[in-house]
Amino acid sequence: MRPTHWLYTLPLRIRSLFRWNRVEQDLSEELQYHLEQKSRELVAAGFSPEEARREALRDFGGLEQSKEICRDARRVSYIQDFLQDLVFGVRMLRNSPAFALVAILTLALGIGANTAIFSVVHGVLLRPLPFPKQDQLMMLWEKDKDGTRSNTSYATFIDWNRLNHSFDGIAAISFWTPTIIGTRDAETLTGFRVSSSFFDLLGVRLAQGRNFLAAEDVRGNNFVVILSYGFWQRRFGGDPAIVGKSLQLGTRSYTVVGVLPDNFPSVLSFDPRRAADIYTPLAYDATLPYACRDCRHLRAFARLKDGISKTQAEAEMNQISANLFREYPTEYSASGVILTPLKDYLVGDVQTALWILLGSVGFVLLIACANVANLLMAWAARRQREVALRAALGARRTRMVRQFVTESLLLSLTGGGLGLFLAWGSVVFLHQLRLANLPRLQNVQIDATTFAFTFGVCLITGLAFGLLPAFRASKLDLNESLKESGKSTAGKERHRLRSMLVFADVALALLLLTGAGLMMKSFVRLLEVKPGFDPSHALTLTMSLWGPKSEDAPAVAFYDQVLQRVRAIPGVKAVGIVSQLPLGGNLDMYGIHVEGKTLPNPEEDPSADRYSISPGYLRAMRIPLLSGREFEARDVAASPKVVLVNETMALKFWPGEDPLGKRLRMGDTKGPWRTVVGVVGDVLHRGLDAPHTLQIYLPTAQFTDSTAVLAVRTETDPIAVAAAVRSEISSIDPQVPVSGVATLDEVVSASVANQRFTALLFLLFGVIALLLTAVGIYGVISYGVSQRTHEIGIRLALGARRREVLGLIVGEAMRPALLGALLGLFAAFGLSRLLTNLLFNVKPTDPPVFAAVLLLLVGVALLASYIPARRATRVDPMVALRHE
Amino acid sequence: MSKPSDLVQGTLDLLLLKILALEPMNGYAISLRLRQVSGDVLQVSDGSLYPALHKLEQEGWITAEWKPTENNRRAKFYSLTPPGRKHLEKESANWDRLSAAISGVVKLKEA
Repeated sequence: MRPTHWLYTLPLRIRSLFRWNRVEQDLSEELQYHLEQKSRELVAAGFSPEEARREALRDFGGLEQSKEICRDARRVSYIQDFLQDLVFGVRMLRNSPAFALVAILTLALGIGANTAIFSVVHGVLLRPLPFPKQDQLMMLWEKDKDGTRSNTSYATFIDWNRLNHSFDGIAAISFWTPTIIGTRDAETLTGFRVSSSFFDLLGVRLAQGRNFLAAEDVRGNNFVVILSYGFWQRRFGGDPAIVGKSLQLGTRSYTVVGVLPDNFPSVLSFDPRRAADIYTPLAYDATLPYACRDCRHLRAFARLKDGISKTQAEAEMNQISANLFREYPTEYSASGVILTPLKDYLVGDVQTALWILLGSVGFVLLIACANVANLLMAWAARRQREVALRAALGARRTRMVRQFVTESLLLSLTGGGLGLFLAWGSVVFLHQLRLANLPRLQNVQIDATTFAFTFGVCLITGLAFGLLPAFRASKLDLNESLKESGKSTAGKERHRLRSMLVFADVALALLLLTGAGLMMKSFVRLLEVKPGFDPSHALTLTMSLWGPKSEDAPAVAFYDQVLQRVRAIPGVKAVGIVSQLPLGGNLDMYGIHVEGKTLPNPEEDPSADRYSISPGYLRAMRIPLLSGREFEARDVAASPKVVLVNETMALKFWPGEDPLGKRLRMGDTKGPWRTVVGVVGDVLHRGLDAPHTLQIYLPTAQFTDSTAVLAVRTETDPIAVAAAVRSEISSIDPQVPVSGVATLDEVVSASVANQRFTALLFLLFGVIALLLTAVGIYGVISYGVSQRTHEIGIRLALGARRREVLGLIVGEAMRPALLGALLGLFAAFGLSRLLTNLLFNVKPTDPPVFAAVLLLLVGVALLASYIPARRATRVDPMVALRHE
Repeated sequence: MSKPSDLVQGTLDLLLLKILALEPMNGYAISLRLRQVSGDVLQVSDGSLYPALHKLEQEGWITAEWKPTENNRRAKFYSLTPPGRKHLEKESANWDRLSAAISGVVKLKEA
């Protein structure tokens, strides 16, 4: 339509909509004028005034129909109808507040849970990373002999960079934990050393300052840093002149050259809760001892060139890797690379769990819909006479369906609005509690997309549960329902529909509860796992040495002093030092070369978790000594090198032999021999659900780290001694930063945060499903019973015993419930397989869980039908007989 | 009852637009004019006149305004809008082609 056209039509539409009364009045007046003129003409032709009036009307032919067509011509009638329906719907709902409340709350629960989970799925999985062309970003790994991905080394990284034609560039990253010294407390930072192309490859534009220069990625020129936005705000209050200032990191002064933007995700942090604070250039060169080809401690990532696919890049890199393997056969254990899209790498583990949760919460919504549909049908049945009256007055069926659908949309949108609040509350809760260490959790929020999702869900659910009752209600037999007694024959079909709803409710609830049951059992099993140490009554904290004090000898002296002072604190039973805490999230591993048992290619020798410990550590952690001796004060740097091994290691290398006195080398093949002096129990390092690994222990004095964890065994509440321990440490050296103060219980608990989170959500959905099902069955049965009060009265009056009547009613409810349970069992049997990867020590078809869930659900169904049935049979037969 | 306006769809619209192209008019005057110009050949019932007028108004071809009549009663006067005028030109050209074609067919001598 031409735009000029709108000039004429738009004001008309607006007028029709908002000045409806005025427009109607105009129409009447216009027609009135016509009739008057016509009458006058007829009177002039000799008719009497009354005859003329009648004749004029007759000539007109259907004044009301004419008006109606004129109204339709205004093209806004559907909006007016809708508004009318809406007003009418609100009035109807206000007249049945109990019905409205139950329906809206049910929907709010269903929609709210869906919105909350969707916002998590959207924030974590769907929302793109804030990098341009993020699909081109790939993590790059060496392929291990067993096909798993492994970090790479500087030498390999250089070769990859030099030889490939597939990538715009490859960047390497390693961890960096500098200590910042200043006017405020010394603090250990989380950071990365990155090759200078890192930020360019990601496509990040700095909020302030500039990127690293290639010239700064060289040893000696590398004393520059880029700060994360959060760290800049936290430590420097967002100082706008920070660029160009210098920071004291350990013994060195570094110049700030840039600040990252606020939305820059700390993509390569292992623990999403500990985002990187600071970045510095990698600045390796090939002469460094840790730049060797088998010093695999760098992570690499790359950006594909435009037009190059992942497969093409993989093929080229595999070729390069095969050539390198041929050239350095003893420094690689296998040839090949693995490319992982950056986003998959970030969210890898939680992906399955989140999708399954979204699916489950969808089932919750289905149950909610079934319940509300049932409520609506009962409600519609109570409005039979209203519907019949409207039909008799000439309302078209589509018009009535529209009325009912408007009402159900009103319900679903109100429920959805409330649900949005629920979801918003749970997201705030999720952020505050930090229940899980989900990657990208900070992206989870209720935003426009979530809002659109919720709105869509409301529309779909409104139609889903509204259409069926609407069609049924509008398809009434007029004569039947206008008669007061239509009730007793309302019968069969509606009853069958309600049975189907019970059936669906129970089937879906069983499916959900099985999932919840399996997840809970798995989580309980996980918590039952003995980590190999005693987590109760123990305090841990991390000390980070820096500068000259981090050299081996002063560090050992410092640790000895700390041990002495802490041991003297009242309430401390034992104290020890370790380089990395089991379940603490660090993965420090070294290759192990056992005398007489090395492989031809030493690269293929296995790796073990390496712990440097002080005497007393085993007692502080209550790790059992199985044979041999503990480390003692005599195991110093100059004394013979000794080592403890764990049980798994002893069994692997010396089955049936005495491991004591055997020797091994650690790290490279030219290091000193270390003699096994004892065997200790296994501890779980990677997680309670992880398999046992090889583990070796060295005396701190013979292998010293600048960062150490203090483990303090206490008599009572470990937090009570925390302050005393801290003050002892700072009285020795106030410049040593102390971090990560936590009880050992908390450390273990944090290691299962994700499993706990998932299990809790499953439990929550299961409980909601159970509640909704109970309410649903209760609603169906009490409505059915109320419809049959008359019949029950006759039965009782004729001498039926209450127990028989009770059995009859409960039996009718239980038949669809049991059938539903059966179908639910089959479905659960098929679908629980999806959970396999999330379950620990529980089969997805665990019979006890299935049986328990079945019993629970049948019990709830029995109770939900027994209560209304009992109430019905308690009525006085005479009252029931008179009941209409 | 067979109404001549049923004959060709849109005929009534065309007639109304044409009548209003000459001068603005109220509904009653239009009904008189219709009878007058077409003799009694085109009988348009009053009941279908007003819906047709309202439809044309809502489509933007004609516009209405309340004005006093000669005998000082308020009446709704319709007049053509500029888009309505263009529409009329297009429609009457169409009509010419259509009627020429139909009369051509009707006048064919039987073989």
